[in-house]
Amino acid sequence: MDTLKVRDAADVEQVVRAALANEQPLEIIGHGSRRTIGQTMATNALLDLSTLNAVTDYEPNELIITLQAGAPLADVLSLIDAKNQQFAFEPMNTAPLLGLPDTGTVGGMIGAGLAGPRRIKAGGARDHLLGAQAVSGFGDSFKAGGKVVKNVTGYDLCKLLAGSWGTLAVMTEVTLKVMPKPESESTLVLRGLDDVTANRAMTAALGSPFDVSGAAHVPNSAFRSGDRNGLGGLGLSGQAATLLRLEGFAASVAHRAGTLGHLLAPFGTAERIDDAASEAIWAAVRDVGPFAADGALGAWPVWRIVCPPASGGALGAGLARETGGDVIYDWGGGLIWTALPPTPDAQAALIRERVNAAGGHATLLRASEDVRRNVDVFHPQPGGLAALGERVRHSFDPKRILNRGRLIRGSAA
Amino acid sequence: MTIMMPAPDQAVLGRRAEIVAALRAIVPGEGVIDKPAEMLPYESDGLTAYRQPPMVVVLPDTTEQVSKVLKYCFEQGVKVVPRGSGTSLSGGSLPLADGVLLGLGKFKRIREIDFDNRVVVTEPGVTNLAISQAVAHAGFYYAPDPSSQIACSIGGNIAENSGGVHCLKYGMTTNNVLGCEIVLITGEVVRIGGKSPETSGYDLMGIITGSEGLLGVVTEVTVRILQKPETARALMVGFAQVEAAGECVARIIGAGIIPGGMEMMDKPAIHAAEAFVHAGYPLDVEALLIIELDGPSVEVDELIKRVEAIALGCGSTTCQISNSEAERNLFWAGRKAAFPAVGRISPDYLCMDGTIPRGALPRALARIRELSEKYGLGVANVFHAGDGNLHPLILYDANKPGEMDKAEAFGADILRCCVELGGVLTGEHGVGVEKRDLMPEMFSEIDLNQQQRLKCAFDAQGLLNPGKVFPVLHRCAELGRVHVHGGQLAFPDIPRF
Repeated sequence: MDTLKVRDAADVEQVVRAALANEQPLEIIGHGSRRTIGQTMATNALLDLSTLNAVTDYEPNELIITLQAGAPLADVLSLIDAKNQQFAFEPMNTAPLLGLPDTGTVGGMIGAGLAGPRRIKAGGARDHLLGAQAVSGFGDSFKAGGKVVKNVTGYDLCKLLAGSWGTLAVMTEVTLKVMPKPESESTLVLRGLDDVTANRAMTAALGSPFDVSGAAHVPNSAFRSGDRNGLGGLGLSGQAATLLRLEGFAASVAHRAGTLGHLLAPFGTAERIDDAASEAIWAAVRDVGPFAADGALGAWPVWRIVCPPASGGALGAGLARETGGDVIYDWGGGLIWTALPPTPDAQAALIRERVNAAGGHATLLRASEDVRRNVDVFHPQPGGLAALGERVRHSFDPKRILNRGRLIRGSAA
Repeated sequence: MTIMMPAPDQAVLGRRAEIVAALRAIVPGEGVIDKPAEMLPYESDGLTAYRQPPMVVVLPDTTEQVSKVLKYCFEQGVKVVPRGSGTSLSGGSLPLADGVLLGLGKFKRIREIDFDNRVVVTEPGVTNLAISQAVAHAGFYYAPDPSSQIACSIGGNIAENSGGVHCLKYGMTTNNVLGCEIVLITGEVVRIGGKSPETSGYDLMGIITGSEGLLGVVTEVTVRILQKPETARALMVGFAQVEAAGECVARIIGAGIIPGGMEMMDKPAIHAAEAFVHAGYPLDVEALLIIELDGPSVEVDELIKRVEAIALGCGSTTCQISNSEAERNLFWAGRKAAFPAVGRISPDYLCMDGTIPRGALPRALARIRELSEKYGLGVANVFHAGDGNLHPLILYDANKPGEMDKAEAFGADILRCCVELGGVLTGEHGVGVEKRDLMPEMFSEIDLNQQQRLKCAFDAQGLLNPGKVFPVLHRCAELGRVHVHGGQLAFPDIPRF
């Protein structure tokens, strides 16, 4: 297979134009750290963006950074961390879950659009992508958005690029919003709640004025992978943990921890975990530590379910009961991770039926290639919506040159 | 009027009676308006310099009626201009002589309030403020707060991706909308997203928000609501130089503080506002910042001290801190009344809406001063300083021959300057007709073609709100053509492994 290491946007244009002439679809990769997500693609050449890796412009006072798409995410995170800034949507590191090397680029982060626990407060990748330069399936480099935080000039194409898994255009440069890191953080932990009660506790916390920036629930069974799950000592007491994060100026965090603790008194006495220990917990929640590839459930397929937050507890508890799987809740119940005992179809029919009934959608984020051949990885949409999505895709890439077949099963041919 | 709209289709105009009758069969009674006198209120929106009576006004009150109206127009090749409350400042709902004006004013019902999921499901004609009022008893509110929030509809907010004073901290409309029901020009009804925090598939909600009525007609909206902060206080800080005020804004942000709102006014705006509302603004300063901090009082009190110290370090000459809600509201009263206040000192004004990088503020102001002298027209500046969104108000008298053209040329030069400084043509008011012909200042033909291809995915005949946003309209067939470069059979000279 040809791997084409592009050096600039002009190279990308040339590669796409040649691919059009040859009718040869391209797989778009940065570091390839999420290649196992999606349907099997019908591509036989790789467009590799990893050498397009410069920091174009970083202005901390403008809260903006412009990067080439192949910039290594780890380096970028260090760079902005040195200025005490962060990507507020808390991008997930998929490496531990997928069992792939701990790499990844900024372009991949946006293309996948997988946001972490702070999404409930700060929004997702789509809310932080201000502008992009990208090459469409027509082989033309176009500009989307701008380099300022407030912009309504023309269609907001950035929203489409975020989470499009490389199927609309090849991003060559992105401008992202950065935000100040909070001065301090604390996590309140409630112990021993069942999933539905935990969901109610999280709903109460998120409906309070205390600016909760993380609301997760780890049922007791999810601690079975032992201490490798990154949740530190939380699992040692053998009790479920409901986690509520507060961030900000130290005095404010202390005040809110006290008042939120009072509010949650009907659910038990909250213990408080501060700063570094709190950070470690949320990194494990973000990256779904209990289901890590090198843990006890490493061989199980993993679904990522998004649903109305207040219905998460009932949905997740039902799924765990019916499938014999494990669940973890984030986003106050709006995000459910579930690992299921392996079957040839990852129990897709059951998952989709229950998730549809709850008004949500489910993505099979981790599964072997064999399983992915049999299952719709991304949630099938109703006819009219699916057709509209396909027309949108067609408007960027009519010949299906880019990541052909990744999103829709059977569309690779 | 200097901006040309598409030439009316005489064949369609000739069939007006037939079209009106067909619409009456779909929307009975007073829902179809065709008498010129009764159509007068629909001739214009918030961009009052532009007026055009529509061919006919239709006011449906169900999704089914909207669907049937659009399907009829699609089949008959009739253009449609959607309209909410008609407060657009960029002419987004300016009618067409040969077009149906589709008003959503009868969609006035809030369908569901769901505190557990922290969402409100509402019809598009409900005003922005009414959503906040409907959930206020439980301490919630809807965060985006455009100045017109008492009148503007949530459907219009979706169309324009409206902002407001608080969007620095809480985001624009797009960051606060979860789903919608949208009717396509074919009459097809599509539901996108809902109460889940993310939609499945491509982020179509993200593209519909801010699409200025060119992609479809939204008939239901699901928005996120937030719990009100425990408290809010404001500082009012005066500076002898605009540059110092700009530096103060940068340093506050640089210190990791994101205020709920951070607004700046220049001397002419301060004087106009003070004369109008008597808010106690200092009259001997060149720039005034209003900085609002919200959250728990322990946090707000701490941040007030930090911001005060930063302001002093930047050479502030006056600083007042609100000690009561009445005082905080008084600080805001002048800023919120800035537009009508300027309306009292000038027969007419044009409100511009560019965004620049925050750091470029002094340069932008200097340039605006130069242009003011060049054109011989006064200007008062109010800014959403926190996010670099400028609202220069150009003062003119429409009764003086040529002065409106001059004001428009002045405004266009300001927006060109914004783009040169790394900014954009519009921060929150939309392109509409007002900035349509300036789009090439910011986007190449390739950029604009890609945007228009997206339009084709929703409306291949170009019947929805034509003449807005895009300076040149291409046919979808022409835009969709792929140019294959013949003979280029191998990948070119690119390193491979």
